[in-house]
Amino acid sequence: MPAPDYPTLSVTLLGAGQEVGRSCCVLEYRGKTVVCDAGVHPAYSGMASLPFIDDLDWSTVDAVLITHFHLDHAASLTYIMEKTNFKDGKGKVYMTHPTKAVYKFLMQDFVRMSSTSTDVLFTPLDLSMSLSSIIPVSAHQLITVSPGLSFTPYHAGHVLGACMFMIDIAGLKILYTGDYSREEDRHLVKAEVPPTRPDVLITESTYGVQGHEEREEKEHRFCSLVHSIIRRGGHVLMPVFALGRAQELLLILEEYWKRHPELHNVPVYYASNLARKCMAIYQTYIHTMNANVRARFARRDNPFVFKHVSNLPQSRGWEKRIAEGPPCVILATPGMLQSGPSRELLELWAPDARNGLIITGYSVEGTLARDIVNEPEEIPSTKGDNITIPRKLSVDYISFSAHVDGPQNTEFIEHVKAQHVVLVHGDSGAMNRLRISLQQRFKDREEEIKVHTPRNCETLKLTFRGERVAKVWAIGT
Amino acid sequence: MASFVYYRFKSQKDESKISFDGTGISVFDLKREIIVANNLKANDFDLLLFDPSNEQEYEDDTHIIPRSSSVIAKRVPAKTGKGRGVLYLTAAAPNGTQSDVLYGKDKVPTSSLMRARV
Ligand SMILES: [Zn+2]
Ligand SMILES: [Zn+2]
Repeated sequence: MPAPDYPTLSVTLLGAGQEVGRSCCVLEYRGKTVVCDAGVHPAYSGMASLPFIDDLDWSTVDAVLITHFHLDHAASLTYIMEKTNFKDGKGKVYMTHPTKAVYKFLMQDFVRMSSTSTDVLFTPLDLSMSLSSIIPVSAHQLITVSPGLSFTPYHAGHVLGACMFMIDIAGLKILYTGDYSREEDRHLVKAEVPPTRPDVLITESTYGVQGHEEREEKEHRFCSLVHSIIRRGGHVLMPVFALGRAQELLLILEEYWKRHPELHNVPVYYASNLARKCMAIYQTYIHTMNANVRARFARRDNPFVFKHVSNLPQSRGWEKRIAEGPPCVILATPGMLQSGPSRELLELWAPDARNGLIITGYSVEGTLARDIVNEPEEIPSTKGDNITIPRKLSVDYISFSAHVDGPQNTEFIEHVKAQHVVLVHGDSGAMNRLRISLQQRFKDREEEIKVHTPRNCETLKLTFRGERVAKVWAIGT
Repeated sequence: MASFVYYRFKSQKDESKISFDGTGISVFDLKREIIVANNLKANDFDLLLFDPSNEQEYEDDTHIIPRSSSVIAKRVPAKTGKGRGVLYLTAAAPNGTQSDVLYGKDKVPTSSLMRARV
């Protein structure tokens, strides 16, 4: 048993513990409380989608750090800021400039979508009230929250603005990755390895030990598939989240269309008002993207001005008109086919074998996008509880999701060399396979690294040697 | 005349209320009403109710909470696999709770609650 005066770090996951969705990680050390991410669970709606927030007294929180704008990391923030006693305390909320810019539009859309159902979590007024108290920060900036508590954001790849946070609480260093990618794509930089070594690494584990397909091969397979569906006279449906991978897919399709004049009469549609609004943000933050994008922009060739992609005006009943029209390629939200345009198009196109569905991102358990890759004979309709639709359209899964794969995650974890590794944001199967593989590697090399996979609300307590922290204390704050 | 019991999720600032007929409501029925009122459609949680005066959990579903009381609700991860939240929507109330005691047979809560989608 550790001596009672050794300070203990508590790590409590209110969400994303052995699951993907509603990320929310609470760190408590020496009287400071930091919360990393505040997401919702994509398979649920309303209050059921929130992290297990009843487990925390929100007025005790010193800082909430949001890694990126995806809903599973950011969408419960307004609720926490406005509906709990968070504002009774001195808690501050931080995210990067581009994250905040996109977050605003995303959440306006989120409020609009949920106001049509009984699952209203907060109002537009709550949203604007909370927005003004979010502090925007830049990558590599050292931010002091209060004496003894500071953090620095580092690029995480993944989506525009995504960051990991190196948090320093009284000399103890914790790196929280959020979602991250280690492969440079058409527009984003890859995640950096922070220059300092943390004591604790909290990392995503979405893909477990699984490896990604080689990028060129994957893009080739993707474009050939799209082409073949069109050749057989079908429509191509890609459910996407409005921002993130969608922009990358559009860049790939734009390039392919440019090289294939025979496709020029086949429209590529992007059905997202939200994405149209956010394009300006993408253009504003070109300087945070990779060399390829910046070089094109410098030549006045704005990669986000598409020649072959058209934004679809979403007037009433547009889904039916597009569905009955000639072959086309369409990217539509939501990404996991929960309900809305992508689901409606799927239900219209499912019975015709000429059509094709391409799932390009990670799909959470409990969503249709996850179930449909098993090619069921029928799919449930959103029109009524017992209505099903025959599924004849082809279903393919080509992952473009910008998360590290097993080997990349392992490499990063080994590089960071933290004494404790906490796996989050992965379903229990994937996460446990990664834990076992890491433990084996560390054992083989006789390295004293502990790997943890806590469940939601199961507090992990890590004790650090007093003298070590005391030493850092002296240098640190 | 309608009676009320007030509740607040532990993390919430503001209180909400559940209305019912009679002088009290069973823990079972109150849980169900809270689940329905908040549209808690998930099978991964348990709903716990606490007495705010002593922070004791109401563990007995047949316990009657008198009208005009306040309770604290807490959504916690299901301990083993599937949560019990669904149970409150689909199962009949345990014997001896107010559903038949206080409401009388003809006043059993309408089946619309039972049909709520989970
Ligand atoms: Zn993400
Ligand atoms: Zn995520």
